[in-house]
Amino acid sequence: MGTITTLGIILLILMLLVDGNKIIGSYLSLIINFGILFFSVVLMALGFPPLVVTIVASVVVLAITIFWSNASDRSSNVAFKASLIVLFLLIILIIIVEKWALVGGFGIEESEELEGLSILVGTNFTKIAISTVILSALGAISEAAIAISSGLDEIIDYDDNLPAQRILINGQIIGQQIIGTAVNTLFFGFFGSSLALFIWFSDLHYSLGQIINDKLFVAQLISILIAIIGVILIIPVTTYVMYINYKKTK
Amino acid sequence: MKSFLSSHWVKLLLIVVGAIAVVLVTKYDDQLYRQPIFEIQQVQTKSTTKITDDFNNPDTQTKQVLTGIVTNGKYRGKQLQINNTYSHSHGMDIKYRAGQKVFLNYHVHPKFHATIKNLKRDTVVVFLGYLVIVLLLVLLKRSGLLTLISIVINSILFIGAIQLNRLTNGGPVIVIFSILAVVFCVITLGLVLGFNRQTWITLCAALGGTICALLLSWLVFIITKEKGVYYESMEFVTQLPKPLLATEILIGVLGAVMDEATDIVASLFALKQENPQITTKQIFDSGRKIGSSIMGPLINVLFFVFMGETLPMTLLFLKNGNSWGYSFSMNMSLGMISSLISAIGIVMTVLLASLFTSLWLKGQTKWEP
Repeated sequence: MGTITTLGIILLILMLLVDGNKIIGSYLSLIINFGILFFSVVLMALGFPPLVVTIVASVVVLAITIFWSNASDRSSNVAFKASLIVLFLLIILIIIVEKWALVGGFGIEESEELEGLSILVGTNFTKIAISTVILSALGAISEAAIAISSGLDEIIDYDDNLPAQRILINGQIIGQQIIGTAVNTLFFGFFGSSLALFIWFSDLHYSLGQIINDKLFVAQLISILIAIIGVILIIPVTTYVMYINYKKTK
Repeated sequence: MKSFLSSHWVKLLLIVVGAIAVVLVTKYDDQLYRQPIFEIQQVQTKSTTKITDDFNNPDTQTKQVLTGIVTNGKYRGKQLQINNTYSHSHGMDIKYRAGQKVFLNYHVHPKFHATIKNLKRDTVVVFLGYLVIVLLLVLLKRSGLLTLISIVINSILFIGAIQLNRLTNGGPVIVIFSILAVVFCVITLGLVLGFNRQTWITLCAALGGTICALLLSWLVFIITKEKGVYYESMEFVTQLPKPLLATEILIGVLGAVMDEATDIVASLFALKQENPQITTKQIFDSGRKIGSSIMGPLINVLFFVFMGETLPMTLLFLKNGNSWGYSFSMNMSLGMISSLISAIGIVMTVLLASLFTSLWLKGQTKWEP
């Protein structure tokens, strides 16, 4: 049995130990998210427009992650709507930033891996870079959206006569509680995954000026900063969507 | 009301002025660089040729001539003409526009000429960083500031550890970064929770979960004889790949496990305060329940972070006529393994956080009957 399969089985067993009933959704969503990610790359390789593929894939990923997350109906609905709004805002920002920084494609540091590969494959790698940044941010956006909306949902459940204005205030409070840890999750995730690149810079004595203009470094930095912006924006947006929703149902 | 409005306008004005300032400063910071910088003033597009590679991928190559001046160093003010070729796919080339600045390499043989080394990208980096800082401070005020402080401290520690790693030639990379991981946790949790019993339980759960996951996967690696682990597909490797991979996962999962351990332990402490009669078993079960709703989304966060960056290379492999399986193995399998090991860490942390809190809170009832 391969290492990946074995690790996957161990993960499933551990998740069953935590909560036998509710966990299947989380486990399945991980598998399906992988399927969507891989299928998106295949579609892009077959020549489908990368941005369209990414947007469709993102909406599906957000739907699966949010609706299978054990949150209540109302909070899932609100979280999903809010994530779509933030996704839209981020796409605009990402397109501007990527056209400005031009970090698509591969860096000099990857020359060894690229040996023997044809690079002139006709796919626009600036667009692929845009897709990469969007997809990298999806997990963080949905996680924060669920945290805010289920927090607000609990408060609404607790008090039937809650004035709508209180939702705005509580959204801000919950946002302030989660922002530190949410940013940390992203920060360590990105630092961990690009550790090898940073060690490379250090071992090959890159100057600060070289690093801050390096294609791969800037690409990674854009990914983390965009994801952080997504998490920051999701706080007021989710709060506001919940506020509108609450006013309507009342 | 009027003063309220005006104070908002003043803030907005300050933010815009600040944005213009950071953009202008990095646009004209050429003197700070030792590498020669060239400002493109005019672009002439020459011939375009259609090409096809061995795998029938159609692409185009276009030649352009860039005219402009050197803006720093020995040849400051010198007019130059530079040839550039770009493709439709932009894999390793760029279509330059007037107004952009680039770094140059000078050559003296056979006669003086220059080639482009890299695009100057510091303006966009600084602008985006500024945007994050403004959003954090404006939307989240004090907790935004605390978040910023913790990012700055962690970044400094991280850079220090990388320097240390270089000085020791990367031998004990896992030792250096394990120590760093403990320091990271103590500082981050200390900033969020202060230093009390709750912090130490959270710390033990987070680190314990990570260590368990790494040990467990080490066992799996031995048992499966690392079948399906392609170290040769790791990028930017300047030292032994195996400890490097373990270190990447260790650092990568740290934020997530701290996040959930904090949540679980804090909720359980609150629960105990509300219901002092609660039993150890009930505390443990509540911890599992809280954990089960947090861990799914968290696992996804790391999954997308680890997998996202593998996209361009996977695509290139597919475009080069490789099979789905081979393209996956050579590019995505390590990201998948990292995601799975961190997921195991995240789940272990739920169990440990529930266990440690239930045991400790039970001990407390004995002391305070």
